[in-house]
Amino acid sequence: MTSIHLENLGKTFGSFTALKNMNLEIADGEFVALLGPSGCGKSTTMNMISGMIEPSEGEIRFGDRDMRGVPMSRRGVGFVFQNYAIFTHMTVYENLAYGLRATGVAKAERERRVNDMAEFLHLTPLLKRPAAGLSVNILQRLAIGRSAIMEPAIFLLDEPLSNVDAAFRAVMRTELKHLQREFRQTMVYVTHDQLEAMTMADRIAVMDHGKLLQVGTPIDVYNNPSNVFVAGFLGSPGMNLIKGRSVMADGVMRVDLGEAGLSAPLGDALSRSAREGKAVVYGFRPEHCELTDGDGLRLPVNFVERIGARTILHMGRDGHSIKGVFDNRVPVRQGDIVTLAIDPSNIRLFDADTGNAIAEAH
Amino acid sequence: MTMAALDANTPVMEHEDTRDSRRLGLWLTFPAQILVLFIAVFPILMQVYISLTDWSPLDGIGWWQAHELWNSFANYSDLMADDRFWSALWRTVLVMAICVPCEFLLGLGLAILFVDDFPGRRFLYSVLLIPMMVVPAVAGYMFFMLFQSGGPVNDILSFFYGAPVTIAWLSDPDLAFFAVIVSDIWQWTPLMFLILLAGMVGVPEDQLRAATLLGASWATRFRTIVLPRMKTIIIIALAIRVIENFKVFDNFYIMTGGGPGVATETISIYIYKVTQQELIWGYVAAVALVILIALSVVSALAIKRMSREVSQ
Repeated sequence: MTSIHLENLGKTFGSFTALKNMNLEIADGEFVALLGPSGCGKSTTMNMISGMIEPSEGEIRFGDRDMRGVPMSRRGVGFVFQNYAIFTHMTVYENLAYGLRATGVAKAERERRVNDMAEFLHLTPLLKRPAAGLSVNILQRLAIGRSAIMEPAIFLLDEPLSNVDAAFRAVMRTELKHLQREFRQTMVYVTHDQLEAMTMADRIAVMDHGKLLQVGTPIDVYNNPSNVFVAGFLGSPGMNLIKGRSVMADGVMRVDLGEAGLSAPLGDALSRSAREGKAVVYGFRPEHCELTDGDGLRLPVNFVERIGARTILHMGRDGHSIKGVFDNRVPVRQGDIVTLAIDPSNIRLFDADTGNAIAEAH
Repeated sequence: MTMAALDANTPVMEHEDTRDSRRLGLWLTFPAQILVLFIAVFPILMQVYISLTDWSPLDGIGWWQAHELWNSFANYSDLMADDRFWSALWRTVLVMAICVPCEFLLGLGLAILFVDDFPGRRFLYSVLLIPMMVVPAVAGYMFFMLFQSGGPVNDILSFFYGAPVTIAWLSDPDLAFFAVIVSDIWQWTPLMFLILLAGMVGVPEDQLRAATLLGASWATRFRTIVLPRMKTIIIIALAIRVIENFKVFDNFYIMTGGGPGVATETISIYIYKVTQQELIWGYVAAVALVILIALSVVSALAIKRMSREVSQ
């Protein structure tokens, strides 16, 4: 087990900057998910940790050891590839034994460890089977077992669930989390699926366009996004983000949301941080609003999306797209005008110019 | 008509349909079948027929009348006793046993060098493929000139040796054998390289990385991942070269004419000489038939092995 330290890590491919100024500390035994859309630099980061590519700048340390120039075969890193990279011309046994054999572990010891691992991953009945043609969940377990048998200090997983259908993904998520608890290894998990990151990781690192935007526990990142990208990326649907301007009226601070009207008064903390007349982005989660007969934002309903357990209302005039998540029996039809009351404690404000959160409300 | 009635009728109709369509198919492919018969089967039958006679075009009778010169299996028994035939066959196998492994190892080595990118790779790649595109007869003439006693090969040797070297490459039986083998390797290593490189590029990058991360050295990866994954393509490459090399003729004939003596006489050169110079066609037909059968057996074994690999 080892901690991972990334300092000012950067990578450029020609004139393209894949990663810039990445600083991240991953504690011993921690499960960190690198989350972001395609091309955000998460796989580049992962490949640099594993040693497949050399950083253009910055430093990677495992514990106290500087990893510069250490070839990937000597980093003690277990890697599970997106497509599992199983050696399909070998049997399950040969796959599991590969690393032990390549590093010259004696035959008796090798057999014992392969059998233990097979037992642990429920692969024992399959040991003699050729690896070609096994089902995806077995391939995944095999890929994990093949790396885990080397007892690596660090485990890296590159979108291991992206080839699996949605129903099976839920099963595999549980299984992976369980395996991590058993192995107690430092794990870095790359994914573009927020659900995987939220459910499995101790901490999430959200990335976009080669930059690390926010690191924190899943709940913290979800509740207090540090900027508009994180706010919109996390959650399904993501946070509602409406452009407006802070105004002072009758001694209380509100946000003028244009055609949607004036917002409810802002809380004390937000009022103190937001200067009057400032261009801001007004954010709230679709779950944090309800329909009311009293004061609130008056909005037309453009579309009613019923997804079973919940109903999502798409509301707003041109320029605004506001989503709200309600009970599935909400009595609203397309074309209705509704009044939306937003829970004031769950409002987040962002600077319209920088996109950064104005104040962290707790 | 109800669905049930349709279902009940379907099997019968299908039966008649297949029989009809089979007959139609036969008629439609009939011209092509005749053509194939004339291209493949007819010459072989003709060859078998002639091989059982003493016929030669100088006899003044058409080949279809060759039965007048029937000699039963005399050609085949002559063949068994023909030392020149056996030595040519042995030499051909020897050439193959030297050339094909050399070409394979050189091609594999080059493929290893070219599988990763380096500056000038594309240019060098094109240059390396040039020998393969040279007409074999031209290549033969090139090497004929290179190996002259006053030629470039001796000039280069003189330069390193420090004194004039005048080796008569193509007049000495052993050296001539060496020279023709060099020309074959020069010409056909690129083909081996091309096929093996294609196979090597097809080895999944992720598997190699996975093996590296598991601590496998380059040699271990090559032995356990690259070679097993290239097995099919290696068999194909070897099969192509074995069959081609067995028929080697052009550059050998131009460089040495099979000589000095019979030092470089391969089976093709032998057949050519016996046909053109001694004009005993019945005998040649017997020789060619034996070679054809031998090669077919070898190819069939290779193909069988290959299809087993592919199906796995």
